[in-house]
Amino acid sequence: MLNKLALSGIKHRIRDYSVLFSGLMIASAIFYMFMSLATNQAFLSSNSPASATSFIFAFGIVLLAIITIVYINYANTFLLSMRQKEYGMFMMLGAKSSKISRMIFVETFAIGAISTLIGSAIGIVATKFVGQWLISALDMQVKHFSSFYAPALLWTLLFFVVIFAFSAIRNAVSLRRSKVLTLLNRDSQPVKIKRNGVIKAVQAVLGLALLAAGYYTMYFSGNNPGAIYVGIPVALVTIVGGSYFTINAFVTSVIVMLKKKTSFSQKGLNNFTLSQLSFRINDYTKILSMVSIMFALALGAITVGLGFNNQIDNVVNGQNYYDVQVTDPDQAQTKRIKSLNVSKKATYNFKTDGKAVYYRSSQFKSQPVGYSQMNMQTMAFKMKSSNDPANNSNARYELMNTRLPQYRVLDAKFVSDAQYDAINGKETTTVLVKTNSFKNNLPTIKAISKAENKRYPSLKQAGGDKYAAYTIVNGFFSGLEFMGFFLGIAFLAMLASCLMFKILSGANGDVKRYNMLYKIGTKQKVLRSTINKEIAVLFSVPAILGIIHVLIGLQLFVKILYQPYRNIEIPFAIFLVLYLGYYFLTRYLYKKIVLK
Amino acid sequence: MQKIVDVQNVEKIYGKAGEKQFKALSDVNFEVKPGEFVGIMGASGSGKTTLLNILSTLDTPTSGRVQIAGQDITKLNNNQMADFRANKIGFIFQDFNLLENLTAYENIALPLALQNVSTKKIKPAVSSIAEKLGLTEILNHYPTELSGGQKQRVAAARALVHEPSIVFGDEPTGALDSKSARALLDTLAKINRDDDVSILLVTHDPFSASYCDRILFIKDGEIGQELKKEDNSRAEFYQEILDSLGTFAE
Ligand SMILES: Nc1ncnc2c1ncn2[C@@H]1O[C@H](COP(=O)(O)OP(=O)(O)OP(=O)(O)O)[C@@H](O)[C@H]1O
Ligand SMILES: [Mg+2]
Repeated sequence: MLNKLALSGIKHRIRDYSVLFSGLMIASAIFYMFMSLATNQAFLSSNSPASATSFIFAFGIVLLAIITIVYINYANTFLLSMRQKEYGMFMMLGAKSSKISRMIFVETFAIGAISTLIGSAIGIVATKFVGQWLISALDMQVKHFSSFYAPALLWTLLFFVVIFAFSAIRNAVSLRRSKVLTLLNRDSQPVKIKRNGVIKAVQAVLGLALLAAGYYTMYFSGNNPGAIYVGIPVALVTIVGGSYFTINAFVTSVIVMLKKKTSFSQKGLNNFTLSQLSFRINDYTKILSMVSIMFALALGAITVGLGFNNQIDNVVNGQNYYDVQVTDPDQAQTKRIKSLNVSKKATYNFKTDGKAVYYRSSQFKSQPVGYSQMNMQTMAFKMKSSNDPANNSNARYELMNTRLPQYRVLDAKFVSDAQYDAINGKETTTVLVKTNSFKNNLPTIKAISKAENKRYPSLKQAGGDKYAAYTIVNGFFSGLEFMGFFLGIAFLAMLASCLMFKILSGANGDVKRYNMLYKIGTKQKVLRSTINKEIAVLFSVPAILGIIHVLIGLQLFVKILYQPYRNIEIPFAIFLVLYLGYYFLTRYLYKKIVLK
Repeated sequence: MQKIVDVQNVEKIYGKAGEKQFKALSDVNFEVKPGEFVGIMGASGSGKTTLLNILSTLDTPTSGRVQIAGQDITKLNNNQMADFRANKIGFIFQDFNLLENLTAYENIALPLALQNVSTKKIKPAVSSIAEKLGLTEILNHYPTELSGGQKQRVAAARALVHEPSIVFGDEPTGALDSKSARALLDTLAKINRDDDVSILLVTHDPFSASYCDRILFIKDGEIGQELKKEDNSRAEFYQEILDSLGTFAE
């Protein structure tokens, strides 16, 4: 009978339960996604050049585990808060507390088990699609990546089963221990706000000091790569602590200040919003600081991932000056070259007598040959050109690579037109093209390179053109880039759903408040804008802090990446758009719960 | 003389056409004059809350006409209704309905802030109503730090602070002990007398009802009987109410 009642209780709160279920499913899906990368040694070792990758991933697992535990803890509190009134009622009517605690145990565990199973399945599918999408969108070459990876699945299930077993025990014990009256009245328990100015001030100073220490550690480790193994954990601890205290002290004092300013606070619902927030912030400090860290990690991962992408461009452009090189173009190749967006084009002829190759000096006078010069220290490259390759070894090297492999070993000589005409030998024409952008012309460049390989099979082994260099470099960095993106998106989904979940779990308590405001004559429009504002603040506090973390955290990569700050607006924009999406979703769901 | 509340042929049917329907109010007619203190009594399920919800624009009648302060409230759109509630109506609920994250002061100030009254005017308004209701000492307390009676007086202050045309109460004393109930009713009666505020009170407690000038009895969605205090003392009126409750219940 009681079981039936409990089940019908679930039916009545089906919306809350679906929020709970989807939250838990997201958690296990993301955990699986991460594990499918982190436990796949073959994938890790074949896709990343850096020895630190295993370390980074091990670290990531620990981090994700902690976050997941916190997350499930919230979910569990949400569950308990939904149920305690009902279970308290049963107890008041005489149900035995042992029976009740058994029921909550079964309920918690069943919810956990079901959502983990479904979540892992979603994780497998999501890994597949996200992986495929990333691979094709970024033209990446990733080896040993499989969406279904048994050890990862096993670890995920094990991890979640253990956590839910603990949560279930905790719920059972806490119900057994609580008095019936506390259960019945928990909704109206007072939430105390502490307004101790001195402690707040100390916290604010401490928070900023910890942040400064963390930032300096990152800066230092970035410039002294040896320190990184100590630096990252230290930075993490100080920044987590710093974020916590800063949010707790700083944000509350801003709110208190605004409340004091009556010309602002006594306008419309401002005071209500501020009070909601100040109550929330106390309750939310932990999750907001966690979200700010995750936000930084996610955004950082995406930014670094894209940084590797920049690296690809950089290295490839440092290899070859010309994007395309064609020997004795036939009609098909000429047509393809025409379809390129050409910025520079050069045509050179050479003859060979078997001992050397002979170029016309005059051709270089009219069309200087371009070459790229890479500085190995700074990894920056310079584009130059020369009209006298005879006296420029860099230019000669560039030219050498434009010839077919059998001519590369021969010396290059640069002769006058008269001497050239006198040479009796086979003449070859080389057409070299630099486009306005290698990336944008990639499909045609690829087609031209493929066609050349077909026409001259010896090129297949020897390579030499930019596309061949690109394939090698791309393969090398894609793995890293892939990890960065994958982790970034996974963390983002996790952090945003954490926050969403937390906000939504407060929505139940808000129904009465908003209903009352409505009754005393607040327009729906005003109520909606209050909700928007409130949720916007809760979303933007960790976002702002997270962005600062990332901007400084990129210092960690100054020695590893070529210009880590270049083009960061792109990952930032991608990230913020996704994050905004979560904001709008939360807003929408919250209003669905609170406003009728 | 103008009427504050004018209800004509109001009917309320719950449930959509085609589904199971229930007639909660049928052909209700009555009026409230300025400064009147009117009670509505009836058994549980007789339609009191339904009637009050319609009067306060929280619900709409299926048919009929309701005018409050000269305005036909059944013709308002949602925004107009909200404005109307914010300006013309005060509410006291059975379960107080205070916002527990605002102090007593802030709770009372809320209706004024909603109308964007300037800060300078808010403070004296709140102070004066708080003084009338004996709340001056506890204005900085949060609702959880107040007793039930204090909470209800804060709710009453919130209902009165913007000087509404009429105050509606749905069993405002329902959750109070008799002493707090008496204190609240004394205050309401005093404000009704001194400030000429019209009050419409739903109750099924005869003692609360004895504070009213006039009582409407409602049964199965219809107004059956009307009782006037006239020159009776409260004790006499109380007895009269008890008597008619006895006959009315049959
Ligand atoms: N939303 C609704 N849908 C259908 N029927 C309703 C609805 N609200 C109320 N009723 C019915 O209308 C009748 C009147 O209800 P109402 O709440 O007005 O009673 P009441 O006089 O306030 O009772 P009480 O003294 O117990 O508060 C009841 O029979 C109730 O079942
Ligand atoms: Mg009622």
